[in-house]
Amino acid sequence: MNRLLATLGRFLREEEVPRWFGLTVVLIYLVGLGAVARFGIVQAKQESTEFFQQGHDYAVRLLAERIRSLDDDVPGDERWTRTCQRLLKDFATNVPTRSARVIGNRKFLASLDPADVGRAAGERKSAESRWDGLDVATLPPADGQPEMRWVRVSVPVRRGETHAEFAASESESTGEETPETAPASIDVEVVLPMAPVDGHSLAAYASMLSIALVVLGALFVAYRCLREQLRGVSRIANRLELHRDRIEDNLGLLRISDQLDGVTRTWNDLIDLTERLRSAVQRTEANEELCRVLQKSGGGGAIAEAVNALPDAFVYVAEETRFEFLNTAACRLFGWSPTDAKRMTLNDAASNGAGGKALELLRAAAQSEGGFEPRSEIVTVDDGLNRGTSSYRVSVIPVPGTRHQGSCVMIARDVSQQIRAEKAHEEFIAQVTHELRTPLTNIRAYTETLSSGMFEDPKVTAECYNVITKETRRLSRLVEDILSVSQLEVGTIDLKIDQVDLKSLLSEGVRDVRGIAEEKNIDVQLVLPAKLEPIRADRDKLAVVVINLLGNAIKYTPPNGNVVVGCQMAASSVMITVKDNGIGIDASELAKVFEKFQRGSNPEVQKESGTGIGLFTAREIARRHGGDIELISEKGKGSTFMVRLPHVESRASAMSTVS
Amino acid sequence: MTRVLIADDDAHIVRVMMIWLTRFCYEVFTARNGQEGLDILRKQPIDLILSDMNMPVLDGVGLARAVREQLKLDIPIVVLSARCDQQNLVEELSKYRVQVFPKPFLPSQLMEEINRLIPSPAAEGAGA
Repeated sequence: MNRLLATLGRFLREEEVPRWFGLTVVLIYLVGLGAVARFGIVQAKQESTEFFQQGHDYAVRLLAERIRSLDDDVPGDERWTRTCQRLLKDFATNVPTRSARVIGNRKFLASLDPADVGRAAGERKSAESRWDGLDVATLPPADGQPEMRWVRVSVPVRRGETHAEFAASESESTGEETPETAPASIDVEVVLPMAPVDGHSLAAYASMLSIALVVLGALFVAYRCLREQLRGVSRIANRLELHRDRIEDNLGLLRISDQLDGVTRTWNDLIDLTERLRSAVQRTEANEELCRVLQKSGGGGAIAEAVNALPDAFVYVAEETRFEFLNTAACRLFGWSPTDAKRMTLNDAASNGAGGKALELLRAAAQSEGGFEPRSEIVTVDDGLNRGTSSYRVSVIPVPGTRHQGSCVMIARDVSQQIRAEKAHEEFIAQVTHELRTPLTNIRAYTETLSSGMFEDPKVTAECYNVITKETRRLSRLVEDILSVSQLEVGTIDLKIDQVDLKSLLSEGVRDVRGIAEEKNIDVQLVLPAKLEPIRADRDKLAVVVINLLGNAIKYTPPNGNVVVGCQMAASSVMITVKDNGIGIDASELAKVFEKFQRGSNPEVQKESGTGIGLFTAREIARRHGGDIELISEKGKGSTFMVRLPHVESRASAMSTVS
Repeated sequence: MTRVLIADDDAHIVRVMMIWLTRFCYEVFTARNGQEGLDILRKQPIDLILSDMNMPVLDGVGLARAVREQLKLDIPIVVLSARCDQQNLVEELSKYRVQVFPKPFLPSQLMEEINRLIPSPAAEGAGA
């Protein structure tokens, strides 16, 4: 059976049945058919010729009988001859006679007038009865004439009185007195065609031709149908050949019965199996394709390595539940080790909160009926303890052009930072709104108080002007702060570098904050070396740094505290310090305080108004100068901010205290 | 005498409303946050509370909740807020039957609102 299948497969391996095969089949068929038809036609012709000749023979006998029965006249007699010629003519009218004559005593008694032969041809009728005893011979064909038959019938004639008349008429007609006896019998000789005229056989050939044409057409149609059938068969055979080894293996397992239904079942099974094998092969092809893509360029899985190096989790699902590829970040996201991941399927649970949710999304997409649109969602999970929340943007994208509906790619990106930044930004906007509205509210309220004209007390008026002036200044400072943040953000800030006298800069800073410091009864001290060299910097920007740090120190220092501003010069840098004994900053938030829009999370910080931009601005400015701000702080004891700025000229400096 | 409690951490707001309210003969009590306001409410009968939304220690919502649930007072409460866009906050405040007044505000308009809630004790004085 196996060998038979293999042979069948080999024979039908071509996608189409070879042309010569089809043509040969048709040719053989046609030749066979032609032979059969020819045989049949020859037979038929022979039979019809026999009937034809039998009819003629019968007619000749009839003619002879009629001549014999001419009792009244003597054969050879003029009257007899006339009657005889009429009979011959009648005969020629019914039978296609070439020539006919009546012979008695080796003499021509009567013959058919050749002129009557053609005339009689048009008036032939069929004979009526049957006769026996003919003498028949075949005459060779003469020039331009078909084969002819010579037919002779001898009939006895009556003797007696007719004899004399016969003799007399004979002598009369010949003009000689020959005392001859009247013939005892006469012969009627007729030359007739062998077979029906050519017209008949032409019709037979035409009908044969038309039959042949019909048969040819039918054959053509049959061949086309057969070829269609054979094409399907050859395709199956191709597949069979491709998967022969596997089929053979599987065939070994199948019980092949010789019974027809068993074979049919097997055949159907084979088709199913072929279908399964085909999909298996396609799956293998898809795998190979992916591997090829991943291992392309430079070999050694350069792309796979590149994908592994991505910070984003990348997952390729080739079919509903199987992972085709997971990069390192994806393993991390799902909480699987790379070796574990090879065994995992979509239905396994991820050991990580965010991974679990991402996996759920992926599962839903990959197993959805009828495909899906690319989708993207933010997955947020609580990391537990004090790590806050982390967010992932999980995108699931179907892979088009693959054979499996569930093929898709998942990319999960850690957007925690981004989300936090967005949240901080939103909070900042809210905070700014609030901060802007506070001075605005005061300005409007006091302006209306003035303009209402209901309060003419000079003390109230003065108070109103005072508040309006103060709040307007606060408002413009706030606007500048916000502006500087946006400038720093887009990098448009220009430093106007000039000689800066640190002593006057710091003194002015301390003077500016004295007002708010006195409100809280905070002592602000300025401790400077006796001699400070000017540095090269942007004076206005440095003033912002000083004001921000001082304002910050005063804001987060409880009443009756103190703030010390100092300055030290070193070999290549200058250090401005702002030290307070305020609430301090928790170690966990030290890095955060310099971030834009970020503020401490403890209630003591939250109760103070602020936008979270002061320290960010200060550090940005210091960095633009090529320096930085460092922070030493302890919760509950106070903080020290140190602004380090580069300084080229260096000289030893002594410390002195200036109150 | 009609007594009004002003609770606001912004001294300027407290001051300007005090000027206006005393002008219309209301008796004014001031607090720097919700907690101080509650302390006053416990000692002193008050006819109307004018409070800021954002205050340290106890904010406007906390104050309103305490007034309705702890002190069981049914006096009118007006809360000034710069964050009227925060729908959930406004909804919570309306639960405690609080009139929300947006910031920045005009004192004259706020006075009209207060006068509507509790008529000025010195209408004739205001008219003069």
